[in-house]
Amino acid sequence: MRRLPVYFLLDTSGSMHGEPIQALNNALTTMINTLRTDAQALDSLWVSIITFDREIKELVPLTELPSFQLPEITCPQSGPTHTGKALEVLESKFNIEVKKGSATQKGDWKPLLFLFTDGKPSDLQLYRQMIPKIKALNFGAIVCCAAGNLADDSLLKELTNDVVHLDSADNTTLRQFFKWVSETIEQGNKSQGTGEKVALPPPPSEITVVI
Amino acid sequence: MSEIKQYIQTLLAQKNISVAKNRESIFEEFTKEEANIFAVNQIKDNQKMMLDKWVLKNRVSDIIDQQLIIPNATVGKPYEVYIDYSKAGMDDLAYTSFDDLGQFGLEYNEQLGTIKGIPTKSGEFKISMKFRVNGENEDSELNNKKVSLIINADPKSLWKNIPSDLDKDEIWKNVNYWKPDIDYDFKPLGDKHIVVASKRGRSHANVGSFRDDDFSFKHLEETGWSIVCVADGAGSASLSRLGSKLACEFVISYFEENFNSDIVTELDSLIKNRDQSQDDVKQKNLDLFIYNNLGKAAFFVHKGLQDYANKLERPLKDLHSTLIFALFKKYDFGYAILSFGVGDCPIGLVNKDLTEIQLMNWLDVGEFGGGTRFITMPEIFSSNKFPTRFGFKVVEDFSYLMLMTDGIYDPKFVVEANLEKIECWSAFLEDLHGDNESNIKVELIAKNENLPIQLSEWMDFWSSGNHDDRTLAIVF
Repeated sequence: MRRLPVYFLLDTSGSMHGEPIQALNNALTTMINTLRTDAQALDSLWVSIITFDREIKELVPLTELPSFQLPEITCPQSGPTHTGKALEVLESKFNIEVKKGSATQKGDWKPLLFLFTDGKPSDLQLYRQMIPKIKALNFGAIVCCAAGNLADDSLLKELTNDVVHLDSADNTTLRQFFKWVSETIEQGNKSQGTGEKVALPPPPSEITVVI
Repeated sequence: MSEIKQYIQTLLAQKNISVAKNRESIFEEFTKEEANIFAVNQIKDNQKMMLDKWVLKNRVSDIIDQQLIIPNATVGKPYEVYIDYSKAGMDDLAYTSFDDLGQFGLEYNEQLGTIKGIPTKSGEFKISMKFRVNGENEDSELNNKKVSLIINADPKSLWKNIPSDLDKDEIWKNVNYWKPDIDYDFKPLGDKHIVVASKRGRSHANVGSFRDDDFSFKHLEETGWSIVCVADGAGSASLSRLGSKLACEFVISYFEENFNSDIVTELDSLIKNRDQSQDDVKQKNLDLFIYNNLGKAAFFVHKGLQDYANKLERPLKDLHSTLIFALFKKYDFGYAILSFGVGDCPIGLVNKDLTEIQLMNWLDVGEFGGGTRFITMPEIFSSNKFPTRFGFKVVEDFSYLMLMTDGIYDPKFVVEANLEKIECWSAFLEDLHGDNESNIKVELIAKNENLPIQLSEWMDFWSSGNHDDRTLAIVF
């Protein structure tokens, strides 16, 4: 059977402390519960959660949705945002976990990447070094979500065309965002021409698409 | 010094009371008085009891706060897990029970530490683990820990089957290029028969969208050639249902119009001569003929789709579809089979005594699932692999010529390499003949009037993660 691998890179740096991290936990729980009732997702979705602050943690390795359990995501009270290092970890996980098609192996659906951040990379040089490498992995879609006024949309734009901006990381906004993420995931397993990207569904009004 | 004396001394010291030198003997007496010994012992016992109680209480709270992971269950799927308490750092549990598991169809075995059963209800639940730790009295009240238990729904129960034309009229159908969710046919084809069924996949049925697969076939009476086509519209293209339908129609119309007697006479003679000698030049001529004529047919389809897209003022990629077709004709020495394919749908030719399989085409399989090539992509015609998209075979006879979309090939053959293994085709044939979960038998004989229905029912087979449209055409 074909798997749809979906990677979440979540910013857990100091600025997320307090209400934002709580809202992120709530929104992710709601999203996973929604996906759990989606026939297609339950049958093909595999989810990985990687968090980044000063440290990069693989909170959940790529796991099929039926067995997936979302742990509580926590963050330190302060500290830098190592987005570049997170992309580096992602690249190595991707190379181990994602199955490419061959005459003897069923390939996965094109993986999707969702990066959520409320700041800008503290390790900018590494971040920029990683961009071409991440692009070369050939994700079906890379969606970056910048939340709050400290997030830098233009730096995210260097990684992908699909950057959305949330005015704040509160409960309602994050829930809307992750609802849209789950709709995007549901688009992820369709046959397409080699090299084509997954089409994103129209985002809800809470989300500003950064042009 | 006795423990009692030491205790009283410490007590006095704590209160800043010192025993004067001249009172030491009286103090000595005091510490030996029975009532005082009793009192000290009682205090010590009480203190110990309190300490122990606090340690226990603390431990119980630790256990309540610690995470205990119970693996997720799925409705209808036999479930048996061992709860590894020691891994969770709970080695000191003296007693455990989960009383509310019964409502989910599960049962806890305290001796074995297992939860077992067939879950009946889906959702995310907080269940109570009642427990006692070592050191607690056997009759003490049980402690209560909330543990989460996730029971997934039975994936089969989540799939909906929404007709694509629900509450729609004929005008809507025309405007939206509607096609039936299920289509099948069964007819003689030349001196053989064809049965074909095409079904909308569960992923489409779930959201009420259209079937993207299509098929067509035709026997050209005048020339003796028969054509079978199967096409699979791209899930990501908005009008792919139309693309696959047009592709199948265009193939038939191309051969109807262009496979005239001159061309067929030439082809017949090339095939007959080829059969009589192993001459390289003749073989090359034949290859060239096939390349030219089938290549033209493929390009005719591409061009036809391009024109159609222009007419609709839509980009050609909206009509993305894979396409496979095969032509066969009976000669006095046997059958000649020609084929063309673009995309990930295989054409298999099974010999008369079911001992050999000839895969007529190679598949366009990308490094990721769903990535393939379509007849609508101009680059396939300029690629140096284009000439390899054609197949040719002469056989004395064959048992089955099969064309299928990836909706069948993915679950039944899984990977491309298996398409060249006769054991995989034997298993596939046995599956068709009734060796399957639903015990549905497809009796592939000409006089079986129920054949298309049988094939269509067989196609409902369950395969986790494989919910694409399914089309299978069998010539026999």
